[in-house]
Amino acid sequence: MRRPVLLLLPAAIPVVLVLGATVVLGLAQSLGLMPVAGNTEFGVDAYRAVFASGDLWSSLIVSVAVATVATAIALVVGLATALAVRATRVGGRMLAALAASTIPIPHIIGAAAIGLLLADSGWLPRLLGMDDGSWPQLVAGPWWGAVVLEYAWKESAFVALVVVSSMAADADEISDTAAVLGAGRLARLRYIMLPLAAPALITAGAISFIYALGSFEVPWLLGRAYPESVSVLAYRLFTSTDLAVRPQALAVAMITVGLCLAVGVAALGLLRRRSVLT
Amino acid sequence: MLTNSGARGRITRRTKWFAMLGGITLLASACSAADGASESTNSVDAPEQSWDQVVEEAQGQTVSLWMWGGDTQGNAYVDDVLAPAAQELGVTLNRVPITDTKDAINRILAENQAGRTDGSVDLVWVNGDNFRTGQQADIWLCGWADDLPSSTFTAPGDPLLANDFGTPVNGCESPWHKAQFTFVYDSARVPNPPQTMSDLLEWIRVNPGRFTYPAPPDFTGSVFVREALYASAGGYANVPAQFSQQAYDDVTPQLWDTLDDLRGSLWRSGETYPKDTTQLDELFATGQVDFTMTYGPATLTELVADGTFPSTTTVLTLEEGTIGNASFLAIPITSGNTAGAQVVADLALSPAQQVAKADPGVWGQFTALDVAALPAEAADTFSALPASPVVPPYDVLSRNANPELAAAWVPALDEGWRRNVLAAR
Repeated sequence: MRRPVLLLLPAAIPVVLVLGATVVLGLAQSLGLMPVAGNTEFGVDAYRAVFASGDLWSSLIVSVAVATVATAIALVVGLATALAVRATRVGGRMLAALAASTIPIPHIIGAAAIGLLLADSGWLPRLLGMDDGSWPQLVAGPWWGAVVLEYAWKESAFVALVVVSSMAADADEISDTAAVLGAGRLARLRYIMLPLAAPALITAGAISFIYALGSFEVPWLLGRAYPESVSVLAYRLFTSTDLAVRPQALAVAMITVGLCLAVGVAALGLLRRRSVLT
Repeated sequence: MLTNSGARGRITRRTKWFAMLGGITLLASACSAADGASESTNSVDAPEQSWDQVVEEAQGQTVSLWMWGGDTQGNAYVDDVLAPAAQELGVTLNRVPITDTKDAINRILAENQAGRTDGSVDLVWVNGDNFRTGQQADIWLCGWADDLPSSTFTAPGDPLLANDFGTPVNGCESPWHKAQFTFVYDSARVPNPPQTMSDLLEWIRVNPGRFTYPAPPDFTGSVFVREALYASAGGYANVPAQFSQQAYDDVTPQLWDTLDDLRGSLWRSGETYPKDTTQLDELFATGQVDFTMTYGPATLTELVADGTFPSTTTVLTLEEGTIGNASFLAIPITSGNTAGAQVVADLALSPAQQVAKADPGVWGQFTALDVAALPAEAADTFSALPASPVVPPYDVLSRNANPELAAAWVPALDEGWRRNVLAAR
């Protein structure tokens, strides 16, 4: 137990320092310390203002909804991909390589590409001859289609790879044994593959949910003017020419960080409960 | 490997906003620097020295010019014309492209908070509310712009150059060019263009879905709202230039009514708006809307020449005129190369550079100089400039030009638009 912790230290120390320093700085600014111009008083005025404005609530709803739907799609597609990778040898390897190849693409490039592909006058509607207004409004549309698709596409590859690499090698043997004992495909998925993949699914799901909740570039490029995601709201307040609203930007950021932490803690709790049960 | 990349993703995400604070500094030093910053309440003046001393000190300095990078001609002008000329004066000019001038302001504010005096920004292309924000935070170096040798070629007391959106310039920034807000349409799709702003609003109602504007606080969208404000108030004379809550309450209800009423006739029924001019230009270029608008009509020549915009792209001059302004170069107090930055600002304002920049084939930016008062030889070079096939000359565009409102209006109108038009659906 002790050695793995020591081995993690070189990675953990910079993370804790960087994250800790930035969170403390952000917290200080959101509480009116470290004013950019003029003097502000210590207090929770910024938090009060963002909660009262109504923008925060609509942003939270949008961000949580987008992250939830995108993560759900990513989990289903990722799990299906992972099972397909395990099921066949040659095809599986190709599938794994395909999934792995999307991992290094930055989200901002992915978002720009999705925009070029799916915008009203994008590549796909033109190819299909639907650039006359019949194309569904995916980019900047009312259902945030392009944003959800971008996250789901990127994160499903991530989910698939985490599941493939973390599932025990003997999963196939257990599954085969169950098949010999008369378990059907659905029963094997329900009682063997899903429980074995669950820890990886919880971890990957939590990571992709937290990422989608706080990420800026995808909703900024593919989202709509109103309501905004929490990240876009924070950025707009942060870059406002009115310096007095800057603590509000940091307050929105801090609220998002708090939400992300809560999701992370919940995921850890789920994982722990599972490991106690199994 | 995999989990590592996931973890990295998480770090990037969480730190994104805070990284803008100027990188990761130790908490203690950042806090002590912030104390220092909050005490400064007065502007910082450039050191008293002769121009020769400035030029001498500038030798070998590298000046980072932060400017909006969305204009390829502007980028090319700085890289291929201005930078080599600066090099001849012994100053290396390094252009830093940004998506919004606010990015530069934020960087300077963060570096000022951290107490840096060798900051990454030496010169900023700026005006309006961004300039005012910088003035509020005392991040601009002042008292140098009027001492530049080239400043003698500007018209004394030119109102566009004396006040920047109602904020006195006070030698804290040096003029670079003048601009005129312009509507642009495709004459193939709009055979009978409107002649006034109220005609335009009527045209939008009659042709639903063929017009939109960028969502404020985008720079251009923000100007459109001010144009609409002038129109709904019955002319700019009816809107007090200085901001007051009373004036705001008097003139904006009508504006919000007008824009709210217009919403259903906009592209996508006004449920969403383009994020910036780049997106609006894209809608115009792909034929989804029939109008676009810009505060920098200089870009149009190139956009038509390279086929991005149709050859039937035409500038719409309104009978009552449009809003005009000037843009400037400012030096932040965090710069370690203020002498070099002054040399570049002086060079940029020199008649030779102003005429090179005014060529529609180069950039087509309108000069900030008083051409009539220039020495005959320099004035001739201006009159010898080729005309743009798309953009009318400045004196045509700026006919009946409307003044900008004080910068304090801008955030108030932007926020009011969000509340009363965008979020009121």
